[in-house]
Amino acid sequence: MSDIATAGASGSAPSAVRSGSAPRHRLWRLTQGAGLILGLYVLLYALYAYQQPRALDSYAIAALMNNTAPLALAAAGQTLVVLSRGFDLSIAGVISLTNVVLAVYPLEGPGGALLSLLVCLAIGGAVGAVNGWLVAYLRLQSIAATLATMIICQGIALVILNAPGGAVSDWIADELTGRLWGVVPVSGLVVAVVIGLWLLVRRTDYGIALYAIGADEPAAALSGVNVRRTRFLTFVAAGMLYGLAGLMLSAQTATGNPNSGTPLLLLSFAAVALGGTSLSGGRGGLFASVMGAATLTLLQKVLFSSGVSSFYTGLFQGVVLIVAVVFSGLLTRIGERK
Amino acid sequence: MTVMNDNPISQARFQQKGDTRRSARVSAETVSTFAVAILCVVLLLGARFISPSLGSWSQVETVLVLGSFLVVLSFGQGLVILTGGLDLSLPAVATLGGILATNWVGASDPAAWYLLPLVLLACGCVGFLSAAGIVWLKVPPFIMTLAMSIIVSSLLLGYTKGTPRGAAPDIAVALMKGQVLGLPAPVLFLVAFVLLGWLFQSRSIYGRYLYAIGTNVEAARIAGAPVTAMRILPYVVSAVSAGFAGLMLVGYSSGATLRMGDSYLLPSIAAVVIGGSSILGGRGTFLGTVGGAILLTTLGTIISAIGLEFGLRTIIEGAIVLVALLLLREELFQKLGSLWR
Repeated sequence: MSDIATAGASGSAPSAVRSGSAPRHRLWRLTQGAGLILGLYVLLYALYAYQQPRALDSYAIAALMNNTAPLALAAAGQTLVVLSRGFDLSIAGVISLTNVVLAVYPLEGPGGALLSLLVCLAIGGAVGAVNGWLVAYLRLQSIAATLATMIICQGIALVILNAPGGAVSDWIADELTGRLWGVVPVSGLVVAVVIGLWLLVRRTDYGIALYAIGADEPAAALSGVNVRRTRFLTFVAAGMLYGLAGLMLSAQTATGNPNSGTPLLLLSFAAVALGGTSLSGGRGGLFASVMGAATLTLLQKVLFSSGVSSFYTGLFQGVVLIVAVVFSGLLTRIGERK
Repeated sequence: MTVMNDNPISQARFQQKGDTRRSARVSAETVSTFAVAILCVVLLLGARFISPSLGSWSQVETVLVLGSFLVVLSFGQGLVILTGGLDLSLPAVATLGGILATNWVGASDPAAWYLLPLVLLACGCVGFLSAAGIVWLKVPPFIMTLAMSIIVSSLLLGYTKGTPRGAAPDIAVALMKGQVLGLPAPVLFLVAFVLLGWLFQSRSIYGRYLYAIGTNVEAARIAGAPVTAMRILPYVVSAVSAGFAGLMLVGYSSGATLRMGDSYLLPSIAAVVIGGSSILGGRGTFLGTVGGAILLTTLGTIISAIGLEFGLRTIIEGAIVLVALLLLREELFQKLGSLWR
C-alpha cells in the first residue's frame, strides 16, 4: 500500500510515476487536464458576454448555472466510474427515476426538501449498490450490467408516472434555482460543494485506490488495494451523484418526465471526455468533467445567441468534442516526449 | 491507442487462464451459442402456456421479421466490438439511411437502382469518417462514434427541418412485406444475411484479421495483417449495415422518423454481449450475436403479448437481460466446456 500512497501523493496519475519528476508533472497535469477546458470555457464566456452584455449580471449567471448543474453532477458521477475503468449507463435510469419520484410525491417546505434530498441520494445509492455488486462481485462487464439496471430503473419510472406530468414541490423548484442573498446561485453552490468533497476524497486511501485500479488493476490488487470494495463504493458514490443530478434537474424543470434522464446519458460521456478524463481509466478528474459539462451547456447558449438554428447545436457539440479530445491527446503526447 | 485494446484486464485474463488453445475457446463459444438458441426455442414453446396465440409458426415469423433489424445492426456492432471498439453512431446512421431513402428516392423512383446504393455509400462515408478519427487522430472509438452520432443527428434535424417527408422506396417495402415461395421475404433475407455474415466473420481472411487485431494489435501487425485497413473496415461495414437497417425500417413502417434508430443502440450492444462476445474484443461469434438478437426480440414480443402496462414490461425486459447476463457468464461456460473435453 505504501508505494501506492506515495505515488498517489505526488500526483495520482499513473504517468506521474513513470516520468519521475513529480513537481513539473503536477503543473503539467493541471494545464493539460482542467487547464485546457477552463481556457475553452473562459473563451466561450467572453464570446457570450460580447454578444449578450447582460450575460455578466447575477441573474444570467444563475440561469446558466441552473442549466449546467444537472449535467455537471451527472458527469461528476460518471467520472468516478470512468476513472475506475468502467462505464455507467444507469445514469439515465436513476435521473428519470428520481425526477418522477419528486414530481409524483412532492414534499413541501424546507423539511420536505431535505427529505427529498435524502430520498434521491438513497435511490441513487441503492441503484449504485446493485451496479457495484454486479460489476465488482459478480464480475459482469460494467456496460452490460448497468444497461440492465438502466432499463429496470426506466421501467420503474414509467410505472410511477407513465406520461410527462406531476409537479415538483414549490420549495425545491424555487429555492434550488434561486440565489442566496441575491448573488450566489444555489445550483452553483451545490456543484461547488461536490467539487470540494471530491478534492478531499481524492486525498484519502479510497481516492488513491480509485486511480490505482483504473490505471492498472492487477498491480493495484498486488499492492494490497481492495479492488472489489473500491469498485463497489465507486458505483454507490456515482449513483448518489446521479440522484443529486435528478434533484437539480427536477428543480429546474419543476415537472416530471419518465424519460428525463435519457438525454443526459451520452452528454455525460461527452462532458467526461471533453474534460480530458481518459475513458480507459486511471487518468483525469471530476472538476474537469464539471467544466466539460459547463462548456457543453454554454456552447448551446452561445450558438443560440449567435442566431444558429438549434437544429445544429449537436453539430457544434460533436465537433468541439472531437477537437478537444484530439488536442488534449496531442498535448499528452508532447508531454510524454519531454 | 484505443480504449480497450491494450488493456491489462484482458491481458491478465489471458495470463490467468493459461490455456488459450483454440479448442478450449471455441467450445466455450459454441456452448454459449447453443445455450442462447435453446433458450429461444424454450421461450417460444413455453409461451404457449401464457397465451394460446403464442408459440405458433406465425409468431416465429413475427419474431424473425422484427428481429431482422436487430440482427443486421448487431452484425456491424459485433464486428466493431470484435476489434475492441464500440459503435455508438448506429442509430444515427440507421436514421440517415432511412431519411435519405425517403427524401432522395421516394416511393416509385425509377432511379432507385443507383440512388439506393448511393444512400448506403453516404452511410459508409460516415463510418469511414469515424474510423479516420479513430485510426489517424487517435480519438477513442467510444468518443469518436458518440461525436459522429451527435453530428449526424443534428445535420438530419437541420436537413429535414424537424419533419421528415417522403415515402419508402418500393424495393424496401417489397423486401420487408413481400412473400417469396410462401415465406415472408424478410425471413429469407435474414437467412441469407446470417449465412453471409457468418462466412465473413468466421470463414474469411478478413474475419480472421479482425479476431487477430481484437486480441492483440501489435501481434497482428508483426504477423503481417494489414492493421490500418482492418481497423477501418469494421466501422465502414457497421455504418453500411446500419444504413441498410434504416432502409429495412422504412420499408417496414412505410416512412422515416428522426428517432427511428434510437431504440436500437442498447439492444445492439446487448445482443452482442448476450451472444457471448467479450466487450473488450477478440472473442465472440456472429451466430452467437444472432442468437442474442433473436432472444431479445422473442422476449420483447412475448412480454408485449402478455398485455402488461409499458413500465412493467420494461422492468421485466431489464430483469431478463440481467438474468441472461448472469447465466451466460464466462466462468459458467468454461466449466461446461471443460465437461465436454
